[in-house]
Amino acid sequence: MKSTRRGTAVTATFAVAALVLAACGGGDDPTTETPSGGGEGGLEPSGSATYGESTAFPENLNPLIAAGNSVATSNILVGILPGAFIIQPDFSLSHDENLLESEPVSDDSGDQQVVTYEISDDAIWSDETPITAADFEFTWRIQRSSDPADGGCEVLLGTTGYDQIESVEPGDDDKTAVVTFTDPYPDWQSLFTLYPAHILDEGDDAANCTAITEGWPIAEGLPEEFSGGPYQLTAANIDAGAQTVVLTPNPNWYGEGPGLENLIYQSIGSESNTTVAALQNNEVQLASPQPQLDLVGQIEGLAPNVTSSIDFGLSFEHFDMNTANVHLGKPEVRKAFALALDRTSLVEATVGAFDSRAQVLNNRVFVNNQPEYVDTAPEEYNAQDIEGAVALLEGVGYTIGADGVATHPTDGPLQLTMSTTQNNPLREQTIDLATAQVADAGFAIEKFLDPDIFAGAEKPTSLEARGFEIALFAWVSSPFFSSTKSLYVTGEGQNYAGASVPEVDELLNALTSEVDRDAAVTMANEADALLWEEMATIPLYQKPTFTAWSSTLEGIEPNASLAGPLWNVGQITVA
Amino acid sequence: MFFFTVRRLLSSIVVLFASSLAVFALCVASFDPLAPYRTRQPAPPPEFFANLREQLNLNEPFISRYFSWLGGVLTLDFGESNGGTAVGPQLLGRLGVTARMVIAAMVLAVILAIIVGVLTAVRQYKPEDYLFTFLTYVLIALPTFWFAALLKEFVAIQFNDLVGQQIFYTIGEQSPAIELIGTRSEIFWDRLGHLILPTISLAMLSFAAWSRFQRAAMLDVLNSDYIRLARAKGLQRRRVLVRHGLRNALIPLTTVVALNVGLIMGGAVVTETVFVWHGMGEYLIVSIGRSDLFPVLGWLLVAAFFVILFNLIADLLYAVLDPRIRLN
Repeated sequence: MKSTRRGTAVTATFAVAALVLAACGGGDDPTTETPSGGGEGGLEPSGSATYGESTAFPENLNPLIAAGNSVATSNILVGILPGAFIIQPDFSLSHDENLLESEPVSDDSGDQQVVTYEISDDAIWSDETPITAADFEFTWRIQRSSDPADGGCEVLLGTTGYDQIESVEPGDDDKTAVVTFTDPYPDWQSLFTLYPAHILDEGDDAANCTAITEGWPIAEGLPEEFSGGPYQLTAANIDAGAQTVVLTPNPNWYGEGPGLENLIYQSIGSESNTTVAALQNNEVQLASPQPQLDLVGQIEGLAPNVTSSIDFGLSFEHFDMNTANVHLGKPEVRKAFALALDRTSLVEATVGAFDSRAQVLNNRVFVNNQPEYVDTAPEEYNAQDIEGAVALLEGVGYTIGADGVATHPTDGPLQLTMSTTQNNPLREQTIDLATAQVADAGFAIEKFLDPDIFAGAEKPTSLEARGFEIALFAWVSSPFFSSTKSLYVTGEGQNYAGASVPEVDELLNALTSEVDRDAAVTMANEADALLWEEMATIPLYQKPTFTAWSSTLEGIEPNASLAGPLWNVGQITVA
Repeated sequence: MFFFTVRRLLSSIVVLFASSLAVFALCVASFDPLAPYRTRQPAPPPEFFANLREQLNLNEPFISRYFSWLGGVLTLDFGESNGGTAVGPQLLGRLGVTARMVIAAMVLAVILAIIVGVLTAVRQYKPEDYLFTFLTYVLIALPTFWFAALLKEFVAIQFNDLVGQQIFYTIGEQSPAIELIGTRSEIFWDRLGHLILPTISLAMLSFAAWSRFQRAAMLDVLNSDYIRLARAKGLQRRRVLVRHGLRNALIPLTTVVALNVGLIMGGAVVTETVFVWHGMGEYLIVSIGRSDLFPVLGWLLVAAFFVILFNLIADLLYAVLDPRIRLN
């Protein structure tokens, strides 16, 4: 009897401890506010959906500064900040029909480029203040310069495009914004994700810069909880401790929808088993983790309860060959390396394992599934040619030794280091395969997982210090390509390989002011074709993106661009 | 004992200082908070990089940055993360999350370890002993992350599927926005459903080793002369086992548990990652990934503080529980 009581007491002690621990957790639970209302049209908000965010929870919500520069921030804000143009899943651009009455057109007929935005009469902020030309003007004013002496703000991550605007003024009325550019800006459609002037404008540049520097710390939410999109984020709905935010319908949303009563963002980390289990257990209904073979296989195994999609995005892997290296300074050696590569089998063994639609990328400006893509690669680089590679090397004095390594009489053996980032199995696999492929042509490659690859010039092996020999990393392509010059023009900051082709310089410099998109595309592809002759960079493949969602959700349309999986967040509903 | 405690505290401060300096040096040498912005397209303006360097004090000499941080720590200011969030409140909030898991896991592990340790000692070389010996060695050999993954797959998901209801959860400390749809009791059970699996996962890490330790201590006591004498004097077996045997066999376990707090906190890093609890462990992992110096140092200080504290408690407990030991 005694022992039974003691056993019960022990069990009860643990049970009580567990219950107390369960009860006293959290502490900062948000009292979630769910306003009624929402937009016009037939889509009524109902139900909840949870998006499992695989990137780190944001510290700050202001996307203009470093602290707010994260994928998680843009995924939260995509349903809140109105923008003039939206990148569609096919990477084309379309204007936001809720915000704008008509598609803005760039008028280049006069001395200056002028773009007129006709704002919808219905477009208002969540506090019912109309969205007007003043918001366009404020959005430009706070991003036009990073030089404090010029009234700019040095914390800005970018000023590109805004720094080429001369003025933003109201047109016939304050529902028309007329933007006049100092210099022509081809990527004008990338501009104007709007910020509310009546809430954020502090009155002068210095005060605005101070406010931007402070940003919008996540625990405090957005200033006055503003929204110009289908959803809004109230401070009470942010739980920074539990790393969740709950978006609720913007009661003054002027478009159709949104379709959900609560859209929940929950930070779930990047561990693949976590994502699979959370989807399987219906704890999250939508996720977009980095694709890994085991993850993709496991999630595909959850069909039909979970639907998934692999899409090839705007990010592409490539080799950069440092032209300052004693061997790689010779174009023949760089070309020999490219000839010795079997990029087709390399793609099949890496990204091809995710999806058989993976292709070799033969362009450095556009990726395969962009409408502007042209295969600019000369025929000889479409298949491995060891004999051709050896011939090129022998042509510049190399001889293949008994150990199979090509050696130059003065520059020594052709031993090169191939650097890449740490903790990236796909890149390591790419290097291993490439190393084996080019070994037949006399290249001895050593893999180097460089923790400093993206460090500053003070780190001797970094890209910036140009201390690497061959580097494997990714660039993010974009529908907006006028800034390509920073990668390939002589002496530009991100031209780490040191490519230098006068014709390319001319074309890419001209590209920055070519407002005729068709002409700009032609120029970009011409420049890319010329870069094959220089062969300082070799494009490899597009990186896949992965989206998985519960079959109970409707309206999901994966978008592999920077717009992300929630680009059409207002249209997502629960079946 | 007073002088012993003071001596230990002073030497702990020296250890803390040396370890923080070493970690500071390692972090400064390997972290580059500007790296993520160097591959942005288009590249941020030069003013951005200059300002960020200034903002993060990267232009200051190493030693001056260290002592500036140390000065702040003395006034309980642990600095700010790269994103401008104060580290101190973050540590406090996350410590609460981790403590919830660690305390629950320790309570569970201790209870199970005592029960299994005593049972296997009393039933030495009997089937129960072999069974639990096998099980505990399997648990000792299992990596935490794998055991946690097994729990998710074969306990949470399968059980939920079986009963057609969500009882166990695999991520977080509670369902997000549960307040929207849940009553008080639903919220309560939801939290409990989130707590159970991480607790089991973390507890099993220690239970297995502690039960072996408890078994050995119990055997040692059971084979001692005073136990035989007590039995010879006609005392009941249960009374001898519990009052004379278990009470003495618990002394070594008490100190081992105190010493293992650091180990459990280390295990919590993995468990928190697998079960997506936003506690101390996750803070460390995310901060290292972000090249965020002050959160890493803050974590180190807190973790070191608790390891030192519980080591001290272990020493003191030993002296308190065993009157033969005098720390002076």
